[in-house]
Amino acid sequence: MLTPLTALLSYAPPALPRSGVVARSLSMGYSRWRRAVLPGLLTASITASTAAAQETLPPLPRLAVDSFPPSARETVSRVRRDAVTRAGDAAAAGAFGRMLQAWEHWEAAHQAYARAQALAPKTFEWHYLDAVVLQRLARHEAAAERLKAAVASAPDFKPARVKLADALFEAGRLDESRVLFEALAGDPATEPMGVFGLGRIAAAEKRHEAAVEHLNRAVELFPEWGAAHYALALSFRALGRRDEAQQALERHAEYGARWPALEDPVLMAVSTMREDPHAILQRGIKLAESGNLDGAIAAHEAALAGDAGLTRAHANLISLYGRKGDWAKADEHYAAAVRLGGDIGDAHYDYGVMLGLQQKWQQAADAYGKALAANPLHARAQNNLGELLERQSQPDAALEAYRRAVEVQPLFRLARFNVGRMLMARGTPAEAIVELQKIVEPRDAEAPRYLFALAAAYVRTGRKEDAVKWAVDAKQLAIQSGQHELAAAIERDLARLK
Amino acid sequence: MAADVGLKFTHVNGATGQYYIAEQMGAGAALFDYDNDGDLDVFLVQGGSLGAPSAKAIDQQPSSRLFRNDVAGGKLRFTDVTDLAGVGLRTYGMGAAAADYDGDGDVDLFVTSFGPDTLYRNNGNGTFTDVTRSAGVSDDFWSTSAAFADYDRDGYLDLFVANYLDFSVASNRVCQDALGARDYCSPRVYRPVPDRLYRNRGDGTFANVTEAAGISRTDGAGLGVVAGDYNRDGWLDWYVANDANPNQLWINKGDGTFRDEGMISGSAVNAAGNPEGSMGIASGDFDADGDEDIFITNIIAETFVLYENDGKGNLEDVRSRVGLAAPTAAMTGFGTDWFDYDNDGWLDLFVANGAVNVVESQRGQPSPFRMRNQLFRNTGGRRFVESSADAGPAFARAEIGRAAAFGDVDNDGDVDVLVTNNSGPVRLLRNNQAGTNKSLQIRLEQPGPNRFAHGAWVGVERTKANTLWRRVKTDGSYLSASDPRLHFGLASSEVSGIVVQWPDGQRERFAASKSMRSLTLRRGSGTR
Repeated sequence: MLTPLTALLSYAPPALPRSGVVARSLSMGYSRWRRAVLPGLLTASITASTAAAQETLPPLPRLAVDSFPPSARETVSRVRRDAVTRAGDAAAAGAFGRMLQAWEHWEAAHQAYARAQALAPKTFEWHYLDAVVLQRLARHEAAAERLKAAVASAPDFKPARVKLADALFEAGRLDESRVLFEALAGDPATEPMGVFGLGRIAAAEKRHEAAVEHLNRAVELFPEWGAAHYALALSFRALGRRDEAQQALERHAEYGARWPALEDPVLMAVSTMREDPHAILQRGIKLAESGNLDGAIAAHEAALAGDAGLTRAHANLISLYGRKGDWAKADEHYAAAVRLGGDIGDAHYDYGVMLGLQQKWQQAADAYGKALAANPLHARAQNNLGELLERQSQPDAALEAYRRAVEVQPLFRLARFNVGRMLMARGTPAEAIVELQKIVEPRDAEAPRYLFALAAAYVRTGRKEDAVKWAVDAKQLAIQSGQHELAAAIERDLARLK
Repeated sequence: MAADVGLKFTHVNGATGQYYIAEQMGAGAALFDYDNDGDLDVFLVQGGSLGAPSAKAIDQQPSSRLFRNDVAGGKLRFTDVTDLAGVGLRTYGMGAAAADYDGDGDVDLFVTSFGPDTLYRNNGNGTFTDVTRSAGVSDDFWSTSAAFADYDRDGYLDLFVANYLDFSVASNRVCQDALGARDYCSPRVYRPVPDRLYRNRGDGTFANVTEAAGISRTDGAGLGVVAGDYNRDGWLDWYVANDANPNQLWINKGDGTFRDEGMISGSAVNAAGNPEGSMGIASGDFDADGDEDIFITNIIAETFVLYENDGKGNLEDVRSRVGLAAPTAAMTGFGTDWFDYDNDGWLDLFVANGAVNVVESQRGQPSPFRMRNQLFRNTGGRRFVESSADAGPAFARAEIGRAAAFGDVDNDGDVDVLVTNNSGPVRLLRNNQAGTNKSLQIRLEQPGPNRFAHGAWVGVERTKANTLWRRVKTDGSYLSASDPRLHFGLASSEVSGIVVQWPDGQRERFAASKSMRSLTLRRGSGTR
């Protein structure tokens, strides 16, 4: 399942840094990839052409073209016709498979790929794509065999190596899987997947200390990896470390289905076989995730041109246009999302953020209120509402909103920071210290200001020594993370303190 | 079989082309001995019409039906006694739960609905009285499965009701499938509503303790519920299967309150940390190690999951390891339970399957949601093998399976399965698979209001083999109530003794005799 775009685009406290490893994923198009990775294989593909060979070929799947949307029928018919008329052509059978896979006809796609593999046993793509389909069907043993053939054809294609390791793990072949994950862990581009796999293997073998070590490395490389936090929680639990397990679960709840990306041009080419609104929307979401705002907006608009009832597209466009500063378009899509209804808590929230950017404070507060009516557990809406209440000089109500945000999402550091700030402003620095102590870890780019706030709270309680210690830590961390203005401000305060 | 033995019933889902999500969820069933004559009778929950412009008058709607079992000499025969019994309910029904909540020695009936729930008190004379309001269990949330269990160990059976979504005909959304065609919406489109926990006061009424017990802390679009003691502390916990939301494991703290340990137990989400579309639950000791494991049916492409219990309430997802992932990837499962269909001593699985979104190969056909049911044979507590193909033509038929209630309907010593189909006929799958393997059926009786010892944990000790453990219950599966009698397949092993842990935690041992096939164990007649 894809992460909802609104969760990725919405205003949020400074995000944990994304791993540089992940950003260095393969970034070449499918055609370029074919030229670069498979130089000899395409020409070396063996095409069976004798009538005798064709008689033993796996049959092409039957298909009711009428069941496809009218706009897709012509393309589907053409691809199928090609596969039937060019009965000995692996590429035609494979293209048919890709079309079926794109439309999620898994069994039929598997049949078409089986024929393509029989016709061209050395072509990487048909083994690989068939394996992806088989994994979708939970046939991990069969998928592993196809992936072995794929990796033999294209040993440098990293997504296939990751999938092979996964398939072997799922098939219970842990020793074979371990060898592959170890190799993946040694390559910077695939290290997150490698250490995550090694962690899962260790957990499956009840070696939970080792699992924790691997999984901690995985979340270090990709801090927003919900599945890795979840696996960590289970290993902590098995070790009796319930507090750490609980913290890991909270991070899992915060990050959900986010997963480190490893670009896969072969699979991307499958998704472009479809031109229906849903498929275009999915491509738009991927473009947004990769930071291509204009491309994302164009894809979303194209999806809506095909189907104006896609609430998700309207909701996503609120943020996308908001980030471009095109308020009128954002307004238009907000109105459409509300009109269509459904799960629009995030749409209200995104609209609130956009209104806040325009300094329309009261309207922003109304939007957050609607977000909370749709989803009372919307912690970011609570926090932002708190900020607006603070702006309206309602400190008690603001503190209450921040507290609710923290209650819903205990690891929401910005909200807890706000609780700490409000407690200091109230003249209760000792209570503020209790809150701020909870957000000093991890020592990431967010941390310097939290540490600095903690130092300030200690000053208010008269504990100068503690204040200096935290201020020094804050300054060092600010310098490390390139926050030089903050570092200078801390230095000035430190000089006064000393 | 069904119609040919008198079970003439076809579920009506009232579909009008508006794709109301409620249409897809029924229908429920109960196997219970309402007339105390020693055989299982059948209650079938009916749907009806939903918001059709020309809705029929209430009294013209089809109603839920009660069929009396008149089995004689192994020959099954059912008689429709609905009108006589007064249970011809005409709400848009969902599921059923059955137990003697008032402790008067006969089994009562709770019916969940898309709309108000109904509690029928069994009058003991073949008739029932609707006591919903006076008992304090009226609720308008869309309810699905329900379970009776004595969670506070006060001797009276309490009631947990799983509630689903905040959906109404007026709030119906338009959703499309991957091909852009109109389809039923995902449950994510609607907000989940809180479940309900009712504590039995012992005077025929219930107190709604949902808030006080902590059950309202998380909502989850509940579809299945079962009571079991997953951390083996002697207190019954609740496990709730939620659709597209994390499942909940409500651990009983022993003080009337619960905490949700679904996530920390490892049984709330899949290995990737994502919630699944969970429907039915089978709770039982599949590996004969003395604790209750949990099997959950999910929506297509997710695969069904088996959570293996380590005896402390830590549950491990072993679906791939035991061979249950691949054969279930293409299925959407609902009703399910553990039962030893071949009497070899190992608990097998039955699953009633039926899609909620269009099955591609059936696109364009009427009711394109049909799937075949599945049977999985447990091969020694480590691996499951699908045995549907060897289980008769009933397993080749594709229908829209929903509820599955389990029990020895013909009293021949093996477990049969009653399956309902959404918008289709009920099926009774009579078990002829047990062969020459021996079996033992146990019924418990104790003084006090929980006469049939609901919640008791019973172990049959065998020479040279693991003890077989079963819990007295009627809950689990999906929208279903099953036979509370315990069934133990024995293969060729001998029973050396029987241990009963009564619902209040006290243990009692009973001697075994070689010839026994069916027995009633009365509290106090064994040894402490």
